[in-house]
Amino acid sequence: MSRIVLDGVGLTFRVRRHVRMSLKDYVVRQMFRRSINPILEVHALSGVDMKIERGDRVGIVGHNGAGKSTLLRTLAGIYKPSHGRLTVEGRVSSLFDLTLGFEMDATGWENISYRSYLQGETPKTVRAKRNAIAEFSELGDFLNTPVRYYSAGMMVRLGFSIATTIEPEILLVDEVLSAGDLSFQEKARERMRSMMDRAHLMVMVSHDLVSLAKICNRAVWLDHGHMMMAGPTDQVVAAYKAAATAGQAKAAA
Amino acid sequence: MQATNTYLRKVWGCRYFWLSLVGMDLRTRYRGSALGIGWSLLNPICMTTIFCVVFSAIWKANVVDFAPYVMAGLTLWQFISTSLLQGCDCFFAGESYIRQHPAPMAIYPLRTVLGGAFHFTMGYSLVIAISLIFHGFGYIGMTAILSLVPAFALLLVFGWSLAALFAVATVRFRDLRHLSEVALQALFYLTPIIYGPQQVSELLERRTVGWIFALNPFVPFLDMLRSPVCDGRAATPATFLAASLITLTCLVAAVVTLRAEEREIVFHM
Repeated sequence: MSRIVLDGVGLTFRVRRHVRMSLKDYVVRQMFRRSINPILEVHALSGVDMKIERGDRVGIVGHNGAGKSTLLRTLAGIYKPSHGRLTVEGRVSSLFDLTLGFEMDATGWENISYRSYLQGETPKTVRAKRNAIAEFSELGDFLNTPVRYYSAGMMVRLGFSIATTIEPEILLVDEVLSAGDLSFQEKARERMRSMMDRAHLMVMVSHDLVSLAKICNRAVWLDHGHMMMAGPTDQVVAAYKAAATAGQAKAAA
Repeated sequence: MQATNTYLRKVWGCRYFWLSLVGMDLRTRYRGSALGIGWSLLNPICMTTIFCVVFSAIWKANVVDFAPYVMAGLTLWQFISTSLLQGCDCFFAGESYIRQHPAPMAIYPLRTVLGGAFHFTMGYSLVIAISLIFHGFGYIGMTAILSLVPAFALLLVFGWSLAALFAVATVRFRDLRHLSEVALQALFYLTPIIYGPQQVSELLERRTVGWIFALNPFVPFLDMLRSPVCDGRAATPATFLAASLITLTCLVAAVVTLRAEEREIVFHM
């Protein structure tokens, strides 16, 4: 039974003000001392409580930097929460940055294999799916050349084709609704729709409030890492829009 | 203990992924090169030839004994170098995967070490071949050959632990790789790789540098790998014990460090 439960989940990064330094800097400039290199606490998420059951399609809205992608990555298991408890039951498939995770010197075919293995496929299942993936991407002979020679659109096509061949139980989507050129976009939208229908539950981040309202039955509004409101999509989106326009009016005044 | 078990099972669970990365690393390295994999053998062969020619002139070393001795040492040093130095960068090399998909962090140092292990196996096979050619077939006894199995296993775990430790440290201190290159360079001359057994026993008696040679952690590994090809015998149990203790220490350090830092790695990249 697929479900996600967040119980007071918080994520705090502790970073130093000066990072990426050499050992010499650390010692000579005394970067280990708090007065010179203070520890900054970034509260990316605080006190998020949510129960997502099978059949739910949850949208996450909020301003830039509110913690939407952070929350999604925490659900995916890439970030581990520093407070609270996160329970994720079911196989997670995530569609984040599709152009990340390519090995530039390898060919398209080889990348199909590597990324499929990362998603949890076995050699047998990859062999069965390779041709379907290649066909969907419409890259043809380009699959025999190293990915380093692909355009950005081609990489997105390939990444999308690979990422969407999974059978999702839990689907996490981060603003991936635009992929490739016009003809591919229609195909991509159709596939996304079918994936979202097949998934047991879905959590999605998007700034496109219109599509969000169409697809999601519930929504969560995040503001500076805090959960402002959670509930039926139209209520949350209305509240978020009201707050956003109020903020704009205040700034203009 | 149970947590480590679960963790190892997770590592085994994504074996297709890290095995495919190891294959890709090898293919990338030799893509479009004339000799292909032969290049990885060329380095130890060249170095061994140079050292033999030079040292037979300077120290009157016997090539038949000295060549397998030096080459085994060089092949081991190559493995340790690669594990340590490329291990430093392994999380950065896998950064795009770390950001996309949760996986146990130990697979990234493992990928590096397995690549090094491949080259090591090829180089060492050549050493065995050379030893058999020089000393005649049947020179290396059955127990000696069998002793190589635990030796390789210990070496693999040792390399993996070193790579993991240095990888975690490099996420904090970006120049650790450069510092390590220099340190390894120095350590090369403080390790009995190019010094014959006679010179080593002389050096051990000197008070100033003798203790470095006595305490050098790589010496048991060198003995484990050189005994079969140079003397035709397996190394002594004491040597295996020393190597096991060193490996165990590194392994424990790596496990403790990874457990403490694994969660934070993605935030520091």
